[in-house]
Amino acid sequence: MTQSPSALKDKAPHTEKGIAIDESQLIAQLVCGDDRAFRQLITLHHSLMLHIARAIVGDTFADDVVQEAWVSVYNNIANFERRSSLKTWLLTIVSNQAKARLRKESRQVSLDQLDGEVPGSYLDGAHFKADGHWQQATPQWSNESPDALLEEQQLQRCINRTLTLLPPAQKAAFILRDIEQQSFEDICNILAVSAANVRVLVHRARLTLMQVIDRYQETGSC
Amino acid sequence: MLNCKQVATLASDYLDNDTPLKWKIRLHLLMCANCRRFIRHLKITKEVSAQMVINQPTEDAEIVWKNLQARMNKEVQSDKE
Repeated sequence: MTQSPSALKDKAPHTEKGIAIDESQLIAQLVCGDDRAFRQLITLHHSLMLHIARAIVGDTFADDVVQEAWVSVYNNIANFERRSSLKTWLLTIVSNQAKARLRKESRQVSLDQLDGEVPGSYLDGAHFKADGHWQQATPQWSNESPDALLEEQQLQRCINRTLTLLPPAQKAAFILRDIEQQSFEDICNILAVSAANVRVLVHRARLTLMQVIDRYQETGSC
Repeated sequence: MLNCKQVATLASDYLDNDTPLKWKIRLHLLMCANCRRFIRHLKITKEVSAQMVINQPTEDAEIVWKNLQARMNKEVQSDKE
């Protein structure tokens, strides 16, 4: 199994999805073979690992890849050297498992194919004149306050629903970059795509979410 | 001189401070209210959506755990054989 690269570093979180976590204590429990701690680890990170696996290897194999990754984690947790955070180590393992499965299945999955440009998105030709200027004025928002927008529960539902509909690679890139705050370099390693492709994936996801806010500002719904 | 489509394409790189074309984009933004609004809205989107996304802890932890146990037992059995 490939060890997590020392270059992959991120912050050790104090909370994880609303659950207070003491990472050192959790690692100590895991190393001691505490099954309850391992179930906690699964609860915390399984969803994110599934997003990563789906982005690399597709829906068909993702569940199996993550299950293999958990076996690998279980077998190797005693050797975890803490050169990166536990989460980064887990992401590296699932990424390596997914890449290995991709090679084994000899499937030519292109992230660009998976996440092609959505018609009607901001960057399609219809929004621009031949000289590259906007066809129409960009939409006005009546509410430009992030704090006020964060209070809008309907908008939150719209954004979460849209996120579930994003193509897997876009979703994984967006989650890793904007939620998990991983560096582009780390995301490249985890998703096995070029830096340029990661940037494109993140940008497309943000543009789709911006259109959700556009619609919400205009209609008050998704 | 960049046009609006190029600025829209580079908007995330600009917000992430990750483009050598930063000054060309700024020059365009000085003159283009539409692109200023576009970039401002993308910045708000980035901030708001990242905080709004609800990452539910998986509800399948017990199933994953049981599958893991089953795989481990299978591995142990095949090692014995």
